[in-house]
This record gives sequence, C-alpha cells and structure tokens, in this order.
Amino acid sequence: MTTVTKPVPSSRVPERRPQPSARRASVSGWRRILPVVLGAALLLWILLPLAPVLLWSVAGQWRAPAPLPGSWSSQALESLLSPEILQAGLWSLALGMSVAVAATTLGALAAFSLHRLPRTLSRIVGFLLLTPLAIPPFALVMGANVLLLSARVPTFAAVLIVLTVTALPYTTYMFSVALASYDWRFEEVARTLGASRVRVIRTVRMALLAPAIARAGFLAFLVGWSDYITTVLIGGGQFRTLPMLLGSSASSTGGEQLTAALSLAMILPPVILLAFLARWGARGRISP
Amino acid sequence: MSVPSGQRSASRRALLTAAPAVLLVVLVIGAALLTALLQSLGFLPVFGEARFSTEAWADGASLLESAGVSLYLATASTALALVVGFLVAAYALTAGRGGRLVAALSAATIPIPHLVASGAIGLLLADAGFLARVLGMPEGFPQLVGDSWWAAVILEFAWKESAFVALVVLGGIGRPVAELTETAATLGASARQRMLHVILPLARVPLGVAGLVVFVYTLGSYEAPWLLGPVAPEPLSVRAVRLFGSVDLSSRPEAMATALTSVAVALAVIGLGLLLTRRSRRRSRAQSGVSS
Repeated sequence: MTTVTKPVPSSRVPERRPQPSARRASVSGWRRILPVVLGAALLLWILLPLAPVLLWSVAGQWRAPAPLPGSWSSQALESLLSPEILQAGLWSLALGMSVAVAATTLGALAAFSLHRLPRTLSRIVGFLLLTPLAIPPFALVMGANVLLLSARVPTFAAVLIVLTVTALPYTTYMFSVALASYDWRFEEVARTLGASRVRVIRTVRMALLAPAIARAGFLAFLVGWSDYITTVLIGGGQFRTLPMLLGSSASSTGGEQLTAALSLAMILPPVILLAFLARWGARGRISP
Repeated sequence: MSVPSGQRSASRRALLTAAPAVLLVVLVIGAALLTALLQSLGFLPVFGEARFSTEAWADGASLLESAGVSLYLATASTALALVVGFLVAAYALTAGRGGRLVAALSAATIPIPHLVASGAIGLLLADAGFLARVLGMPEGFPQLVGDSWWAAVILEFAWKESAFVALVVLGGIGRPVAELTETAATLGASARQRMLHVILPLARVPLGVAGLVVFVYTLGSYEAPWLLGPVAPEPLSVRAVRLFGSVDLSSRPEAMATALTSVAVALAVIGLGLLLTRRSRRRSRAQSGVSS
C-alpha cells in the first residue's frame, strides 16, 4: 500500500531512465495525449446532457434523423411568460425563499447551540439534526402528510415545514463549519468598546458570518426551489410550482420544446444567484 | 463531579437555542414514521374503520423485489459517480488551467435539480434522442431509456452525483495534495501515477463519505427512476408513490409499508457504511503510524 506521507519514490518512474528513443517517444506521446483525452472526455460528460436542452428550447421543427433542428423558434421561451408558468415561477420562488429563511435561521441557532453545549449533549443534538438525511424524502412526506392534513395545516405551510426539515441538516452543517473557525475575540473587543449585545450580533457576528449565511441560504433555497415530490404529495395540485409543470411536461410524449424551456427556467435563477454570491463573496474578501 | 451552576445555565440556554430546530425535526420525523407504521398496520385508515392487519406486509416478494431494484440502482449509480467524480477531482488537481475549468463546470451543475437532469438525460438518450441523431441513428443504437438495465437512470444519477463527489474530494484534500502532486511531477511521475499513487490514497476517506451520501440519496430518489425507468419492476420510491396516489385508497397501507421498507434499507446501509468508514479510518491511522 502506498503511504500518504511520502512522495512517489523515484524508482517507480521508469520513464526517467535512459531508454531506446522510439519507446521514449511513444511513452511521452502517450503521456501528453492521455490528459488531453481525459479532459475532453470529462468536458463531454459534463456538457453533453445540456446540449439537447439548449437546442430544443429554441427549436421549431426537429424531425428524427436530423442532428440539428430544421427550423428555429422562440415560441417555447416566449411561453415561459404565460400567466400559468409565471405564477408557477412565483410559487417556486416563494417556496425557495421561505425555506431559505426558515432553515437558515433555525440552522444558525442550532449550530450556535451545538458549539456551546457540552460534548455528549452536542453530539446527540447534532445526530438528531442529521436524521433527515437518512430518511428517503418520499417516505418522510407520506407519513407527515397524514398528520399535517389532520391538523389542518394550510398546504403551503405544510410543504414548507417538511422542506425545512429536509434542509436543516445542510444549513446546520454550513454554520457548524463556519463557527469552527470563528474568532470570538472580535465580539469581545466590540463589547469592551461599549457595543450593545444587539449591535455586536448585527454588525460583528452577521458581518463575519455573511459568507456562511449566504451558502446556507443558497442550499436551503435550492431545496425549496427544486422540490418535486413534497409539493406533489402534500400540495396535491393546490399550488403548482415550476417542477410540477416540468414533471408533467417531461413525463408526457412530445412537447420537448416546453420541457427544455422549463428546464432552463429552473436552471438559470439558481445559477445567476450562485454567480452573484460568488462575485459578492470575492469582493467581500478583497475589501477590508 | 459537580458542574458549576453558571456552566449548567449556559448549556440550558444553548439547549433552548437549539430547541426550535430539534423539536421540528424530531416531531416531523417521529410523527411521520409513527403514522406510516400505524397506517401500514391498518390503523388510521383514510376512511372506514381501523382494523389491525399485516396484509400490507404480506407481499414480501414484491417488497423485496423493489428493494432489490433500489439497491441495484444505488450501487451502480454510486460506483459510476465515484469513478467519474474522482477523475474530475484528480484532473482538476493535475491539469492546471484545463483542470480548473473542468472543476468549475462540474461544480456549476450541482444546483441543477434532479428533475431537470432527468428531463435532459431523457432528451439525450431516448430512442430518437439527441445522441442517436448525432450518431446518425445507427441500427444497433441500444435502448437506454426504460430498458431493463436502467441505463438512463444510472447515468442521470452518476451525472449529477459525480459533480458532488468531485466537490467533496476537492474540499476534503485540497491544497496539500496540489503540492504533493507537484512534487511528484517534478520527480517525473506521470499524470496517471500522480492520480493513482498520490491522490487516490488521500482521497479514500472523502470518497467513502461522499459514496455513502450518494448511495442513501439515490436509494430514496424518485424523479429519475419515475421518468427514465421501465414500468416494471419498480424501485421502492416509485412503488410507494404510485400506491400512495392510487385511486384505490385501500392501497395506502401498502404504500406505507413500502416507505418504511425504504427507511429500514437506508438505515441499514448507513449503519454498515459508518462501520466500514470507522474501520478503514482506524486502519489508515494505524498504517500511517507505522510508516511515519
């Protein structure tokens, strides 16, 4: 077994020894080609599934053997502006943001407490907060559904509760990681300088933990934004989100254009949000 | 030993801070599991009278078949995701600017929902899908969507989860490995040697953790097998959701029995996984103790 503490022993690198020139040429050629082939294969693996989505979203007619659409059309993308789809987008946005607020707040509180509790207790609480990861979401939804319906919890709130439980392990983990390297002395300094408790939390703690808040909030937003099974099983069609429209479009034959356009409508907002967070994060790190 | 009262009140306050999150999780999960158990045994019927019955559990053969399909999907998808995810991470660490590009593109696919990815894989791999068209619709193009090997489902899971695996590996081994691979490179190690003899041994623990997460996730995932899988046999998720939404309300107990089976399988896998990672961590600690 190779040990991790030592670099590769030089005796394992036969190419360095003098060799017949023909063999050396083929070896070094192979050496140069292999990374290129691997890189191209990985790029293809990552990008290929997205190609048909992009093409179909702007395709007019695209009959079977043709590798590219026969005609182009912006109809599918324009249909994203129809009232039904816009409304679904708003529901998804509302769900994503509600889960982000709820799970980020609760996760932050929980992480602070994990940090302060004695070790055994902290482990137990931490373990409990991880359990949602172990339960398949559909199983959780099915059981919770009966209870939430009989307690007459409004549909949107019921979906929000279940998704917050799903998102909590991620947000708690994000804050726990951030708190592990958090320097409490900044808060102490602010306190000795006469800042009130609230002011310390607002201007010191929130500012220092802003990247963690953004990361946790983004993950929780994704849980709400991209959820399909919880909204379908609990919502039962009372409010229709983008994933529900996409699910019914993708599961029926034909309508590839709409499936592709809806896919883009689901991919782009989180990607834009991520790019925005990354830029904002980079700027925050550079400025004092 | 007595605990100072100040410390005790501090931890009580800390417990109170955690209470909203813990109570929410414990209540929702506890109630969900209890309700599922009761309904699977004939209590809390949607309508009619409660009557104890183990009928929903009686069809053990089809529950086992569904569990088998779920385990097959999770095993195949996890294996493929680990291999590709490791290659992405290793390439990112060894290939300079190209490596960083691959790592960034791979990370950018993480926010894509599984439902979208399933739709995309469907458009790509279907009978007259994009791939078949690009290849000129060859005679022997295999059926990949809805086939008995669940190829499209496994590829969808692997596509999404390999990006996650790469992220975990890169986050877990990061900068020190970049230095080690550079050292190995100056000593003349080829890219393949750097991947297999430097990065792979270090990536074992992150790969184990990521593998466990991916396995449990794919075990309970619904969208890809529903959209891209064959009609029968069904994995646990598809079976449970179909029975749950069935017009025939008497199939509710069976839906709950299926859901609980999936919980039991997930918990068993997690238990086994934790046991294995703990053992391998102990072993690697012992080994590095001997070698250093």
